[in-house]
Amino acid sequence: MMRLALGTLRRHRGAYLGSFLAAFLAVALLAGAGLLLFSVLTAKPPADRFAAAAAVVSGDREVTLTTTKKKKKNKVKSKTKSERLTGAGTLPADLAGRIAAVPGVVDAVADYAFPVVFPVRGEDDAPVVGHGWASAALTPYTLREGRPPAAGEMVIDADLAARGGLSVGDQVQITTRTGVRSVRVSGVAAPDGRDGLAAQGALFLADRQVPAVSGLDGPTAIAVLAEPATDLAALRAVAGDAPVFTGADKVRGDLPGALPDYIGPISIFGFTIGITAFAAVFVLTGTVALGVRQRLRDLALLRTAGATPGQLRRLLGLESVVLAAVAAVPAMPVGVVVAGLVAARFRALGAVPAQFTVAFNVPVLICAAVAGVLVTFVAARIAGRRAVRIAPTQALTETATAPRGGMLVRVVAALVTAGGAVAVLIFVPLGGPLGMGMSFVSSALLLCAVAALGPVLARGLTAVVGRVAALGGVTGWLAGTVARAESRRVAAVAVPLVLMFAINATMLLNSSLLGELTGDEHAARSAPATAQVTGPGGLPLSVAGDLAALPGVTGAAATLPTRAIVAQGGKPEDYPSQGLFTAGREAAIDLDVRDGQLGGEGTFAASAYLVEQHGWRVGDEVPIWLADGYQVTLRLAAVYQRARGFGEMALPADLVAAHDPRGLVAAVALRYDGDVAAGIHQRWPALRVTPAVAAARAGDAQNQQGAWELMVVISLGFAAIAVVNTFAIAASSRRREYADLRLAGATAGQVHRMATREAAITVTVGLVLGAAVTAVVVGAFSTAQDGIFRLIVDPVTYGGMLAGIAALGMAAGALPIRAVLRRRDLPAVADDH
Amino acid sequence: MTETVVEVIDVTKSYAGGAGVRALDGVSVGFATGTFCAVMGPSGSGKSTLLHCAAGLDRPDSGRVLLAGQEISRLREPKLTEARRRRVGFVFQSYNLMDSLSVWHNVLLPQRLAGVRPDRDWAREVMRRVGLAGRENDRPGQLSGGQRQRVALARALAGRPEVIFADEPTGALDISAGREVLALLRDAVDGFGDLGSRSGERSGTAVIMVTHDPAAAAWADRVVFLADGRIVTELADPTAEKVAAQMTAVSAR
Ligand SMILES: Nc1ncnc2c1ncn2[C@@H]1O[C@H](COP(=O)(O)OP(=O)(O)OP(=O)(O)O)[C@@H](O)[C@H]1O
Ligand SMILES: [Mg+2]
Repeated sequence: MMRLALGTLRRHRGAYLGSFLAAFLAVALLAGAGLLLFSVLTAKPPADRFAAAAAVVSGDREVTLTTTKKKKKNKVKSKTKSERLTGAGTLPADLAGRIAAVPGVVDAVADYAFPVVFPVRGEDDAPVVGHGWASAALTPYTLREGRPPAAGEMVIDADLAARGGLSVGDQVQITTRTGVRSVRVSGVAAPDGRDGLAAQGALFLADRQVPAVSGLDGPTAIAVLAEPATDLAALRAVAGDAPVFTGADKVRGDLPGALPDYIGPISIFGFTIGITAFAAVFVLTGTVALGVRQRLRDLALLRTAGATPGQLRRLLGLESVVLAAVAAVPAMPVGVVVAGLVAARFRALGAVPAQFTVAFNVPVLICAAVAGVLVTFVAARIAGRRAVRIAPTQALTETATAPRGGMLVRVVAALVTAGGAVAVLIFVPLGGPLGMGMSFVSSALLLCAVAALGPVLARGLTAVVGRVAALGGVTGWLAGTVARAESRRVAAVAVPLVLMFAINATMLLNSSLLGELTGDEHAARSAPATAQVTGPGGLPLSVAGDLAALPGVTGAAATLPTRAIVAQGGKPEDYPSQGLFTAGREAAIDLDVRDGQLGGEGTFAASAYLVEQHGWRVGDEVPIWLADGYQVTLRLAAVYQRARGFGEMALPADLVAAHDPRGLVAAVALRYDGDVAAGIHQRWPALRVTPAVAAARAGDAQNQQGAWELMVVISLGFAAIAVVNTFAIAASSRRREYADLRLAGATAGQVHRMATREAAITVTVGLVLGAAVTAVVVGAFSTAQDGIFRLIVDPVTYGGMLAGIAALGMAAGALPIRAVLRRRDLPAVADDH
Repeated sequence: MTETVVEVIDVTKSYAGGAGVRALDGVSVGFATGTFCAVMGPSGSGKSTLLHCAAGLDRPDSGRVLLAGQEISRLREPKLTEARRRRVGFVFQSYNLMDSLSVWHNVLLPQRLAGVRPDRDWAREVMRRVGLAGRENDRPGQLSGGQRQRVALARALAGRPEVIFADEPTGALDISAGREVLALLRDAVDGFGDLGSRSGERSGTAVIMVTHDPAAAAWADRVVFLADGRIVTELADPTAEKVAAQMTAVSAR
């Protein structure tokens, strides 16, 4: 049996090669994406600031909610969900003393960690974190020169000193949420054998000054120096609710943000793996099915030789497994290379921390290979489902056709997937943070529907397009007629084009729509302001107050970016928010308030999206967790519309300044008459005053955008190879048909022209279907954003995608034919049976 | 009067391969207008190769091929194809029809490709002659082997070629279907009783047919025998018995 299969291999090199390539690419991409995801999931913090400590008692680092549901029969089910904090909770000031009293504990150091805006940042743009000098012993940092800090002094790590060109005796301005200070460098310290820790710069103040400078009401952690045999249980008992970390977990007691955060990359890579997996499976299934179709005649021949359908099914299955397994061997190392390249690009874009490295993990590679083999196997089985029942007599006909039927299956599959897509588009609020992901899911579902109904859709479309092509002379007529007769093949080749256009156009258009809307909303928000005042790294809230009080200023609005958590159905959800401080008789910010009124003691405002999600009403009391885990209940006073690029909640600024360790104002919008700017320059030379609209987008959004575009590039590349691949497979099987045409008197040029026109028909079908899927998804997405239905969004991107994919399709359609036709010895081809 | 429509002069053709097969070894033969010539010989003797070279489907290594006085062995594409489709029709054992076109479109295809207005009346007449009137809209896949062979023949005739090359056109057919095809070829040579003529001139087509069947060869005016790439003998006014005897002699050499 296997020998028979191998015998057909030579005749169908094209189809096998195509399936091989598809399996190879799929496994390589799955392996690459899998490795990246695995690497971010298992990424270890690059440094442990508590290396010298035996254990760390930590303040809150996450908000945990436990909901208990009473079920029938008195069963109680409790669910615990938690969300990580962006700030650090603090511990009672006296806890360190009590811990020090635990037997075996040598010392308990109250560790304060707080972000500081320093003239330079650490290696790879690492943040600078301030501590008390007592914390230096925990790593330990030892003095290289100078002396420990006294009041008004600080010790900095050697790396920061080198970067800032600072030495003992220099005066440096540092900014924290409590204000701007000029501090003298009293010494330079470094951990053993290094200039500083990876990913965080360190700055040590005199211990007595720390609470005042940091604004913290207690230590963020307590590091325990203890003898090896110390009783952890006793320690835990004293610590009470506060978690006690040991070993590699100690880093969890450090300041969130002091170490690289992999939450963002996890979602990016998760999304990447989702898209690649979908595209890979989709393309692989299509290619394998096409390959089986090309071999129908051989299957029929095998049937005449006495093979039963069962034997053919086993043959196809075995063959596909061997093929995919062989393809997986070179694909796995390529996957490793792909992961490395993508990681390098992401590092350069800032979408992943600079310390990120790709972990080499064999089980992940094996999983990718197994997945590839399984998909190929299942695809071959599905494609062979009816093909193996081919009548032996089909071997005697010119073009073998599989038994018809299975239409019902196709229609049902299409209805189910299209229904799913519509449900997603209708029921998921696309305007929210899930919008992009869900628009991808719905276009993927629609693509499945298109693939299922491919032959039917292609028949309808080729009938129209083919007739148009027929106007272009005999080759056009021929192309149109052949395409109409072979609409299944047209569908098989067009589907990767649909995939390529629909997925990428949807992603690009939606993200560009979001970017545009965010820009528009930002402009509209800051329209009332005369100017925006910003400082390097941010400015303390007190400065914002001073700015608002300047003579001539009629209105001011200061924003402090933060994140806040609210409970949704027992699950804490974290949202980007702003601390908002407004002053003056005129508004300097326009949030487009739809309901209620901004401001008022103990109140907050929320975006229309959030209000709708939670079913809040103005006047509701809402419990909110701030960045350090502090819970406050605020009354909803206003609902606003312009949330993009701003945040879902506007909280009292002083509250945010007190509970977000950064707690700095990003920008102050001012409304004034006269020459206020000159006065600001004079009093605060470091501050920048820019005309209202010119303020730049947040860097974070730019990183995301870069990562996004890279993903589109990967997916475009993959789809492009798939398109070329399918065209090549389809062409390789048509050698005989072209030879027949040549025998009927067609010149090589005429065959070329016909093939080009056929490719044009196929490309048109693909683009029309792709544009239809895109229209549905982008239209729904756009309507969900601001009620306006848009199809094209960005004519340049849209036109570029259309033209690029059309050019690729035309090239892919025309080039393989050149290879097929290059063979001069026509009769040999013609007689080939 | 007879004028030579296809003239093969000292043609050799070798195929690259283990032994460097010499399929044609200095063959010279002419085929006259309005005559029916059969080519016979043992398997592998070079019959198909001769046909391909004479029809301009393949290029000889040396020697010349004249088609209606035009030297085609040196023509380049697309001139070669143009010359071929103007003057030549083909009928092969393997039909070589386009499966995605209807029977009717298959029949008209060569003329369309040549960019001439298809002579539909004549094509309909040919379809009637080959007994396929009414099957115009079927696909070749829906026809029997003999019917497909007749479509191929109708296609060859519809273009009123000066010469029709047929390679074992009856090989896959039963005796009566084979006889029909042969009768049609004979009719084509005899000018269909001048039915197909446009302006009264004698429209007889030359038919050059490769066959293994002495009975089929008996329909021809002349039989050429090939062995090991050379013409060994020929026979005028053949009968099945004479052809069979000659074949035995040729095969025994
Ligand atoms: N494409 C090819 N490549 C290599 N050798 C070939 C090729 N075509 C034909 N030959 C060889 O050339 C010789 C003549 O072949 P040809 O097809 O002309 O024989 P034939 O007389 O038509 O035989 P048959 O009656 O079996 O059809 C044979 O030895 C054959 O093996
Ligand atoms: Mg032959």
